[in-house]
Amino acid sequence: MKKIEAIVKPFKLDEVKNALTKIGVQGMTVTEVKGFGRQKGHTEVYRGAEYTIDFIPKIKIDLIVSDELVPQVIETIERAARTGKIGDGKIFLSPVEEVIRIRTGERGKDAI
Amino acid sequence: MPSELGITKKELAEMRNRIARGLPAHSSPREFLRQHSDMMDGLVRKAFQSAKVPSPSVCLMAIGGYGRAELAPYSDIDLLLLYSPSNKNELSPLAEQILYPLWDLGLDVSCSSRSIDECLKMARSDVQVKTGLIDGRYLDGEYEFFRNLYGLLTKKVLHRRVQKFAGALARDIHPRRQKYEDPAYVLEPNIKEGEGGLRDFQVGRWIIRAKYKTDRWDFILFPDHSRMLDKSIQFLWAIRNHLHLLSERRQDDLTFELQEKIAPLLGFPNGTKGVEEMMRQYHLSAREISNFFHDNLDRALFEPSTFRKIIFFFQRKRIDENFEMAHGELHLLDPVAFKKDPSQLMTLFQHGQAYQAKTDFRTEEAVMEALPFIDDRFRASQKVNQAFLSILRRGKGADALLMKMHQLGFLSRYIPEFSDVEGKVHYDLYHVHPVDIHSILAVQELGRLRDGYYQKDYPLLTSLIREIEKPDILFLTTLLHDIGKGREGDHALIGAEMTKQVGERMGLTVEEKELMEFLISRHLFMLETAFRRDLHDEQAILRFANETGTPGRLKMLYLLTFADIKAVGPEAWTSWKNSLLMELFLKTSHFFEKGEEPQTFPRRGETLAQLHQSLPQDTLNHYAEHLPDRYLSTYSPEEILSHIKMAQDLGKEVLLVGWSREEEVRARVTICTKDRYGLFSKIAGSMFLNRLNILEAQIHTWGNGIALDTFYVEDPTGEIERRLQQFKKDLKEILSGKISLKLLLSQREESGWIQKKVIPKVPGEAKVNNRDSDFYTIIEITGEDRLGVLYEITQALTDCGCDIHFARISTLGNRVVDVFYVQDEWGEKIVEREKINHLKQLLLNRLTPL
Repeated sequence: MKKIEAIVKPFKLDEVKNALTKIGVQGMTVTEVKGFGRQKGHTEVYRGAEYTIDFIPKIKIDLIVSDELVPQVIETIERAARTGKIGDGKIFLSPVEEVIRIRTGERGKDAI
Repeated sequence: MPSELGITKKELAEMRNRIARGLPAHSSPREFLRQHSDMMDGLVRKAFQSAKVPSPSVCLMAIGGYGRAELAPYSDIDLLLLYSPSNKNELSPLAEQILYPLWDLGLDVSCSSRSIDECLKMARSDVQVKTGLIDGRYLDGEYEFFRNLYGLLTKKVLHRRVQKFAGALARDIHPRRQKYEDPAYVLEPNIKEGEGGLRDFQVGRWIIRAKYKTDRWDFILFPDHSRMLDKSIQFLWAIRNHLHLLSERRQDDLTFELQEKIAPLLGFPNGTKGVEEMMRQYHLSAREISNFFHDNLDRALFEPSTFRKIIFFFQRKRIDENFEMAHGELHLLDPVAFKKDPSQLMTLFQHGQAYQAKTDFRTEEAVMEALPFIDDRFRASQKVNQAFLSILRRGKGADALLMKMHQLGFLSRYIPEFSDVEGKVHYDLYHVHPVDIHSILAVQELGRLRDGYYQKDYPLLTSLIREIEKPDILFLTTLLHDIGKGREGDHALIGAEMTKQVGERMGLTVEEKELMEFLISRHLFMLETAFRRDLHDEQAILRFANETGTPGRLKMLYLLTFADIKAVGPEAWTSWKNSLLMELFLKTSHFFEKGEEPQTFPRRGETLAQLHQSLPQDTLNHYAEHLPDRYLSTYSPEEILSHIKMAQDLGKEVLLVGWSREEEVRARVTICTKDRYGLFSKIAGSMFLNRLNILEAQIHTWGNGIALDTFYVEDPTGEIERRLQQFKKDLKEILSGKISLKLLLSQREESGWIQKKVIPKVPGEAKVNNRDSDFYTIIEITGEDRLGVLYEITQALTDCGCDIHFARISTLGNRVVDVFYVQDEWGEKIVEREKINHLKQLLLNRLTPL
């Protein structure tokens, strides 16, 4: 099992979600996050006053998938989230040791 | 196995259900409670009688809710043994003998034992003991004890220090209430402890009992009011009875799951609709009870003593013939003033704002009593409406006043459209509050913003609310923004339609009405754009600016969006959301500020409509979304049509070039190809190669990656047709990578036919402007015209990593004036100072070749 963590642009959420649902991904966790990387924040001026947007709003999507699904899921996210411009985001992949469904106590694949 | 009382648990449950079946719990919940209580009395008496009672010196009492004979199916059963001090030692075994058989039946029974003196002493110090005793009821044993206790309790405790009693009740309810203030409890309310729950009703009753020495709470209310309250309380009881019966335990949380089960039992339709209707009635009932509770608490807490009344008499200040101020409160002088002249109702609220004063509860009662006098004439009265709008305009405390108007039922009478959304709930997890409360909270958020409450967190919004021109319209709009909820169709559009009549009635100007309609019909527009559109896409911002229209509307839309989200629930508004909304606001207002107003591109709809006449719908749909407004405003529909045809024909071709001769030596050239990095300089270079002098050019990139460029070129030698053919051939080979432009240029340079002008008569200048666009760096170049200069410039831009998105090239005499909208390879503006300086230097060098 793997954990896939994708940081994408906010307006790409619907597209990514729909694309993932289409390939059969059943669940994901979505979080509003802020940060910066190569795409830095900036200061805007309005009527002489400065308003700093130092962290840029992004969406983080977490999902746990079985190993064989990983390439397809990553490709789907990449395709759906890409605009070709700076700030399209990143995808992180990491191994997961165990998954437990609290209600039933199921473990492993069944609990995904 | 039957217990000592001769019945089993199962039989007990059966008895309960039999009562429930005989009396459908919703048609007469009070009767159900009474019969259930009677049934329990039988069991408890049986337990008492079979115990070894130290006759004749004990009395058995029911206290609390059971004492009131309002026993819900699984409520606690509280008992009290009153004894004479002589036989104290025998009590403990007695209590056990009574309790055990009842416990065996699974009943939640508790029993305390006290002497009369202990009861009185504890009642004085412990408010819960006191309220338990107020509701006490004789069950069995020594009646004389009971009579004595009640005589003394009434005389010595109950009617004394009512104000203190009310204070203790308020303190007692406070910690319980805190837990239920969590918005989760608004969605899944606790019928007993929540705001406007059964406990509130009870507290109101206790206060009336203490203050007016009567148990008939309905006697001190107006008949209408007491009927409404009774209906509300019956409704809550009905829900609670079902909650207990369905869960088979003491369950007072009305969870989503149980809402779905109970709604049909109470006669509401199945499914979401029924749940929403039931919850609406629940919220209306809870509000009724909550008002009853607060009124009575206020009366008991703030009623001045006779002595202070005399002082106030001398301190009061007359405001006008109907009102006076005393003790910081507004008083109505003539109790029938509102009936004589209903417009005085609005005057009262105006005074409330002017003096920043509360109204005393008697005046509030007079308001409620006068509600039936609010009729169409009142609603259409100019005096009343102007007064209302002036309250909103002055702002100070306007939100609190609206809240008060709503609580008193005034608002829904004055704006009947608003009454339709009272208590209306959404059956989901996101919308915490019913629509009416949500709307009032939204107004409150604006009030807070204006009062500087959010100065630190949201400085921009704070400064915006202070600079808008029509705060009254913003407040009114915010109050009404959701009145279309609960009807078939798009609630924003329906709401906008409904506000027309409100505006008409209130006598708003045409502009004000239009503003309100716009804001309400588009109240979700900013939020949708901010969260679902790419804010780095100029088109998205442009369209938003176009539809918003003016900076004034933009500000109001931002403020309304803030208030709307903030009032949904404490977690709905996040700094994350604000970042996106603020970015959209700032970028859009930059558009307005620069005068690059959306009016610059007004023709989109018009142009598309014309295209529609000549293009099949799906072809148009396919291209329409990709055509930038800047492009659409540059060309005529006929030209665009021919461009689309070219794009369709492009298919797998590398390049399509078409031209039309204008004069002997000039031609308009249209080039259609797939956009790529450095395309412009390749075209300019190929033209240079063929001695075509570029007089004007427009280059555009469509959203689908098609580059559509038009050039106005000249060839003084009169060989334009041949040169264009050669140009087309060269460019095709360059673009398909068969040959290098640089190589071709160097070959022809060697042949030495390039004219070189040594002394430019026009000084070269390159300006880099990052101010006027949030999306592109704008580079403006002027210089001496010569053959190939455009190639030099575009090549310099390409060498510096600039991607040209849009360009306008013109020639005025021997002067070239070129404007380029560029981005770097990441699609961002070019902001690094070093890079800008380097670029400028390079451009100047190319403008003045050696």
